[in-house]
Amino acid sequence: MGGTKVQRLSGMQKQVLSLYRGFLRVARSKSEEERRNIESVVNQEFRRNSKEVDRKNFQYIEYLLRRGNKQLDQLRNPGTIGLSSLQIDFLKIN
Amino acid sequence: MALRAAILRHVRVPLQASPKLQPWNGSIRSMSSHDDHLTKEEVVDRVLSVVKDFPKVDPSKVTPEVHFQKDLGLDSLDNVEIVMALEEEFKLEIPDKEADKIDSCHLAIEYISNHPMAG
Amino acid sequence: MASTILKRAITNISSTSSTSRLILLRAHASEAQAQQVTPKATSTTTLKKFQIYRWNPDTPSKPELKEYEINLKECGPMVLDALIKIKNDIDPSLTFRRSCREGICGSCAMNIDGCNGLACLTKIPSENSNTTITPLPHMFVVKDLVVDMTNFYNQYKSIEPWLKRKNPPEEKGKEILQSKKDRAKLDGMYECILCACCSTSCPSYWWNPESYLGPAALLHANRWISDSRDEFTKERLEAINDEFKLYRCHTILNCARACPKGLNPGKQIAHIKSSQPKA
Repeated sequence: MGGTKVQRLSGMQKQVLSLYRGFLRVARSKSEEERRNIESVVNQEFRRNSKEVDRKNFQYIEYLLRRGNKQLDQLRNPGTIGLSSLQIDFLKIN
Repeated sequence: MALRAAILRHVRVPLQASPKLQPWNGSIRSMSSHDDHLTKEEVVDRVLSVVKDFPKVDPSKVTPEVHFQKDLGLDSLDNVEIVMALEEEFKLEIPDKEADKIDSCHLAIEYISNHPMAG
Repeated sequence: MASTILKRAITNISSTSSTSRLILLRAHASEAQAQQVTPKATSTTTLKKFQIYRWNPDTPSKPELKEYEINLKECGPMVLDALIKIKNDIDPSLTFRRSCREGICGSCAMNIDGCNGLACLTKIPSENSNTTITPLPHMFVVKDLVVDMTNFYNQYKSIEPWLKRKNPPEEKGKEILQSKKDRAKLDGMYECILCACCSTSCPSYWWNPESYLGPAALLHANRWISDSRDEFTKERLEAINDEFKLYRCHTILNCARACPKGLNPGKQIAHIKSSQPKA
């Protein structure tokens, strides 16, 4: 998405940005340390997908949106204090 | 290929000695003038300083007319981050529909100076 | 893959150990008729092809139907047995939900040859034709045959599936009693295992999956409306008296046809409709 050229956002792009905004908002409600951690995990995930995901693969982007919104819902629960991420290398497992 | 799986951490012990900081109190604000209405100059100054502080931005390029994506080389995700930073600076919550439109310093200044709750 | 299975089966037969002969003998006895048609060498192999929906979010590509061939003679009688065999022997990446393998957990709901059902209660259709297995229709796929049940469970939650009372029980700390007659009113509803076969077979639910509650959630709504111990009957009826939540049911009755437990959600929905106060 984005790039240096300015274009009108598609509905799906708006949903992605709204999800990103949602994560940044919920991060504010956590402790200062966790906030920075959540912001960095979420930022990396969105940046990586914006580079790697084919922008025409709507099915996959919709899947990621559903997964993201579900994670966001869980993160909104006050009982959830933070977010961690795992790096799994499938090449090493197989 | 690599997959990053996010894992949520939960509170194990429900006891919490001190109440959590309210989200707004965490940030240090340069000015506090909640009672007075903000002057246009004040809004301009504070918007520009938020944009200049953004890590990917070259501060020398920032002017009140600057467009985030065209002039500063930012993308739409950066745009979201800047608008979120402005929200915090001015103690606002900007709805998605409005936030998507704010893509330049000019529009940000206009939106904030017209917002009755901006502090 | 098919050729390797065949080879293994054939070597089994040609080996002269007593156990393999014993197995052969039993096969002769129980399938004397089949024996006349098929040549001796293939009596322990009945090959069948399954076409199974595959989609993996980690390697983003379009979903596809992948073909697997297994020997039914080395496999249990149910579709779930075939899936487990495929996962064990051919393709460990095949992903599906399963647990109890006896039709009480509702995990293995899927679409088998066009009909929704539980894989553990559905017999493998005859070997003459291919069998196609896809996820529950009109549901978002998480991976292969696993679908996202969030919306379905949220709808179940929305009907408040628990006993609600205005008055405390007569004797403190004691259960609230119910006559046998009142208990019998719950027959045909309490058996529901929330497998989602009915809701995902309903065209109305396909078009309005968020606003229409669907047969499963409505059946459960009626289960609590009909419970003699519940004191919120009126409120429950009111809460779902809605053009979309309830009245998207047009008595198509795919639900009753799909239910692997033999229930009739359509009938329960009709009961809710008739219990609503007349305008």
